[in-house]
Amino acid sequence: MNTTTNARSGDAADIDTDTRGAPGARIVRHALVDRLFHWLTAATVLVLLATAFLPVLGVQFGWVTPHWIAGLVLIALIVFHVVRAPFALGMRSMWIGAADLRDLASIVRFNLRLSDEPPRKPGKYSLAQKLIHHLFAVVLLTAAVTGGLMMVRMDTPWWKRNPYWLSDATWGVVYVLHGLAALLLVTMIIAHVYFALRPEKLMFTRSMILGWITRDEYARSHDPERWKVER
Amino acid sequence: MELLRVSRDVYGREVLEGVSWDLLPVFFWAGVAFVCAHALYRWLLAPKRR
Repeated sequence: MNTTTNARSGDAADIDTDTRGAPGARIVRHALVDRLFHWLTAATVLVLLATAFLPVLGVQFGWVTPHWIAGLVLIALIVFHVVRAPFALGMRSMWIGAADLRDLASIVRFNLRLSDEPPRKPGKYSLAQKLIHHLFAVVLLTAAVTGGLMMVRMDTPWWKRNPYWLSDATWGVVYVLHGLAALLLVTMIIAHVYFALRPEKLMFTRSMILGWITRDEYARSHDPERWKVER
Repeated sequence: MELLRVSRDVYGREVLEGVSWDLLPVFFWAGVAFVCAHALYRWLLAPKRR
């Protein structure tokens, strides 16, 4: 049963065979372009971290050129996502609103055993998924902007280095922010991979690889009022 | 453990060079500790959902 339904947060979507509503029917959670964006970003960030930290750990190689090339790829990917996401994906599915704060309160009450009532199911993205997205956004933007600034200090095929563009003190702040973003990424990637591999989250990982979840998984993990797909 | 890397310029003034790479193991093990703490919590303490 390979029926596939396209779904967007807040939007009704198409389903194209008579197996609609069957538990094994597939609902598209991530379009191919979004999955490519995710995995290209992941690969780019891993290249950036490897070229940044392997020399620190004693593995010496010519890391500067692959680092700035990967940095340019990351900046291009971020620009692509920032331009595309508001139109193609909608901001609402990733927005943290009053309902999410009520969810947070109910999650805390449930986990502290102050209430037996399980938290309400989320829409397309849970509060935790929204928070990790926004945290990655802030940290990656910091790394990309500071990295872009640092490229002013090196020769590239397009310009000659200018180490005096900012004062020494300002360059210092830029370096600190860049390094801090890189260090935070190490912690965040460990946590991100851990959650991706947890048994109850594997459906989300599969959807980031293959694009879909089953209608059964949709019913089990999502509130159909908050993430509408056509029945 | 140093938090920042500093050097001195030709005039002897301190120049900020960035965060200290001594912090790399700290951030790595913080991630590992978070994973262990969450896994233990979910295994031993977290209420089961109906």
